[in-house]
Amino acid sequence: MKRYLIIFLLCFQGLLAQVQFEARVSKTTLGLNERLRVDFVMNIDGDNFVQPSFDGFRIIAGPSQQVSQSWINGRTSFEKSYSYFLLPNQKGNLVIKQAMIEYDGKIYKTQPVRINVTAATEQPRDPNDTQISADDNLYLVADISNTNPYINQPITVVYKLYFSNYIGITGFKELAKPKYNDFWNQNIDIKELVPEVGMFKGEQYRYVVLRKTVLYPQKSGKLMIEPLSLDIGVRLPTGRRDYFGRVETVDDNKRVSAGSKMIKVKALPETGKPVDFTGAVGKFDFSAVPSKTTLKSGESLDLVLSVVGTGNLKLFTLPKPEVPNALEMYDPVHDEKVNTPLSGMTGKISDSYTIIPQYKGDYVIKPMHFSYFDLGTGTYRTISSKEIKISVLDGPAQTANTPAVASSGKNRIGGIEQFQFIDLQTELTTRNKPPFFGSNKFYGLLFLPFLLLPIIVLFKKKKEAIDSDVFGNRIKMNNRLAKKYLSEAKKQINNKEPFYVALEKAMHNFLKAKLHIETSEMSKDNIRELLLSRKVSPESVDHFIALTENCEIARYAPSSSATIQHDFDKAVSIISELEKQI
Amino acid sequence: MKNILYILLLITQIAFAQDGFKKGNDLYQNAKYADAAKAYEAVLEANQESTELYFNLGNCYYKMHQTANAIYHYEKALVLDPNNKEALNNLKFAQKQTIDEIKVVPKVGFAKLLRDFTGIYPFETWAWITISFAFLFLLFFMGYYFYQTVTIKRVFFVGMFVVLLFLLMSISAAFFEKSHFDNERPAIVFAESADVRSEPQNASATTFVLHPGTKVYVEETLGNWKKIQLTDGTEGWIDKQAIKEVKD
Repeated sequence: MKRYLIIFLLCFQGLLAQVQFEARVSKTTLGLNERLRVDFVMNIDGDNFVQPSFDGFRIIAGPSQQVSQSWINGRTSFEKSYSYFLLPNQKGNLVIKQAMIEYDGKIYKTQPVRINVTAATEQPRDPNDTQISADDNLYLVADISNTNPYINQPITVVYKLYFSNYIGITGFKELAKPKYNDFWNQNIDIKELVPEVGMFKGEQYRYVVLRKTVLYPQKSGKLMIEPLSLDIGVRLPTGRRDYFGRVETVDDNKRVSAGSKMIKVKALPETGKPVDFTGAVGKFDFSAVPSKTTLKSGESLDLVLSVVGTGNLKLFTLPKPEVPNALEMYDPVHDEKVNTPLSGMTGKISDSYTIIPQYKGDYVIKPMHFSYFDLGTGTYRTISSKEIKISVLDGPAQTANTPAVASSGKNRIGGIEQFQFIDLQTELTTRNKPPFFGSNKFYGLLFLPFLLLPIIVLFKKKKEAIDSDVFGNRIKMNNRLAKKYLSEAKKQINNKEPFYVALEKAMHNFLKAKLHIETSEMSKDNIRELLLSRKVSPESVDHFIALTENCEIARYAPSSSATIQHDFDKAVSIISELEKQI
Repeated sequence: MKNILYILLLITQIAFAQDGFKKGNDLYQNAKYADAAKAYEAVLEANQESTELYFNLGNCYYKMHQTANAIYHYEKALVLDPNNKEALNNLKFAQKQTIDEIKVVPKVGFAKLLRDFTGIYPFETWAWITISFAFLFLLFFMGYYFYQTVTIKRVFFVGMFVVLLFLLMSISAAFFEKSHFDNERPAIVFAESADVRSEPQNASATTFVLHPGTKVYVEETLGNWKKIQLTDGTEGWIDKQAIKEVKD
């Protein structure tokens, strides 16, 4: 089964292989000014040939049909072809579409062919051609004023068509417009083509200026200008003369191109480049002019920033004014009054800002700076505008706290915020003083009350203990009294009677405190007994008793101040002695 | 003897500073603002300061149209006394002179409520309030401890805890305010135009440009760069020379 299938397939293949119909091209890549030959070839005698639409091409010749048949060694070969000569109309990838023929009721088609059309190429001259050809007598030249400019330095490109006296021009058509990638360009319109006479390659030629363009390179480095290609109708002399002796001519079409040009663009120097440089190159003057400087609030003023001069006026931005935010500034109105002659742009550009002040006060618009690169000196220059002072005479102060209804005839004061005058009094303190919070003093004061708590508790406990101790209190009181009377005695040392009373009281109280006895128990025997039982030396006891007795006597007896002093000293010494012994 | 000498020196210095302040006031009144500013600056150099001094200096710079300097000194006055009405008023005037207009985005939420409460007083005042509460606590304790009547004792006992609660509140407020004070680092832009970049590198793209007088908050410092936040919440890195911190 499988074998049959293969045989079957092979049969068909043989049948298919018999019919060949294909499109052959002389080349697949060609220049815009080159010709292309296309042959549609078949090995059968097909009918109803349908040519494809040659989009992007112009047919110069064709179709020409050719049939050849040969017998070689009994084998017959047949070939039939349709030929065309084509000229591309545009650059890029073009496609020659399918052609069709009909054979035995079937339709056969060719494969589409891709053709890559590049920029015009320079064609080598054929040295054997003696006829006056268009090639030697027709030149398209691009004159470039400067091939090594700075960025944004204007250069001009002038396309001139030179043609010799031998040929005539019947017309021209632009095939490819020159492309100025990375250039800003401006065409200068030429209203009428005027032939002029000039020297070219050492010979006299006629020429017309076809196109003038001003270019501003926008990028540094090597830039290419893609060529201008023209299809020119020329009238060539054939060398023969007609019946009347006039020169016979033939009309022909000729493609010329200016060839691509290389421009080396220098970058602007980095040294001394101002920060606010926005790319202005040329020679300029800068000014910032306000329409008024004194106004009421709600009125508007126009601030016009303008640059006048020659250079790339359309290719840079003007500086933006910086205004206090109390002045409301709107987007600028841009105005350009620029002419572009061949020497480059010249004129004036301006930005007009509308500014409406919001509040009363004096405001300052800071100076604006405009920097440009001066081609004449090859340096950067900066022009500064003047500081603009604007005073707003009235209108709301800072807050919109204006009274809704202005009461008539009354000068309302208050409710308006105004700039405050300086303070006249101050209390100066040392700078960078360590803060109180977090200092040791702060923590000390913070914890002091808490530290005092246990002390207060202890104090109260102690006080209660003391209050509850009746006996101890009495001793304490007697002791205190003894001291009190003794000091009183000392005061009264010059008055005999009160002195002895105080001294006696002091000694009594001393005893009360020491011996823990009451006044009722106070008798000499009792005292002696008690003192001796406490192991007080008998002499001291005697002294003490003697002194007490002496006090009673001395109160009524006359005694000198010396004895009083003596008695006082004695009392003190006895008391201190007893103090030690008890 | 040495102490007396020091005290004498201090007194003369203060007297000198006071003279400088008065001299500045006179110059200001005669519209010699530059000289007045110099006189006030001399007082600052003598290591003396006050809210009024900064306020007057701000006024001098305002009159001289040095907006950034004016705002800087008003802000300094407000650091010493955050509720100074005159400084707040004149600051508003100075801010009208600035070029940048940056919205102040109000903060919301609980943190804002808390800050509103603690912001009533600066942390120094809170510290003193804490101290007075501590002593009040002691008084209440003594009242509780020494009074014999049960009712009064009870009142003092409850009062003691109420006071203790207040004490804790005020000390937390003080800590909160102190940390807020330490963390908030306002700064004023002084450079004519300062590029704010997305990263602390010169090669980084400029996000926006600030002009003199704009208030920013410093968040971080890295080498020559400071990370700043605007009042509307936008962040970026700025050259540290372009701004001047108010609390330096």
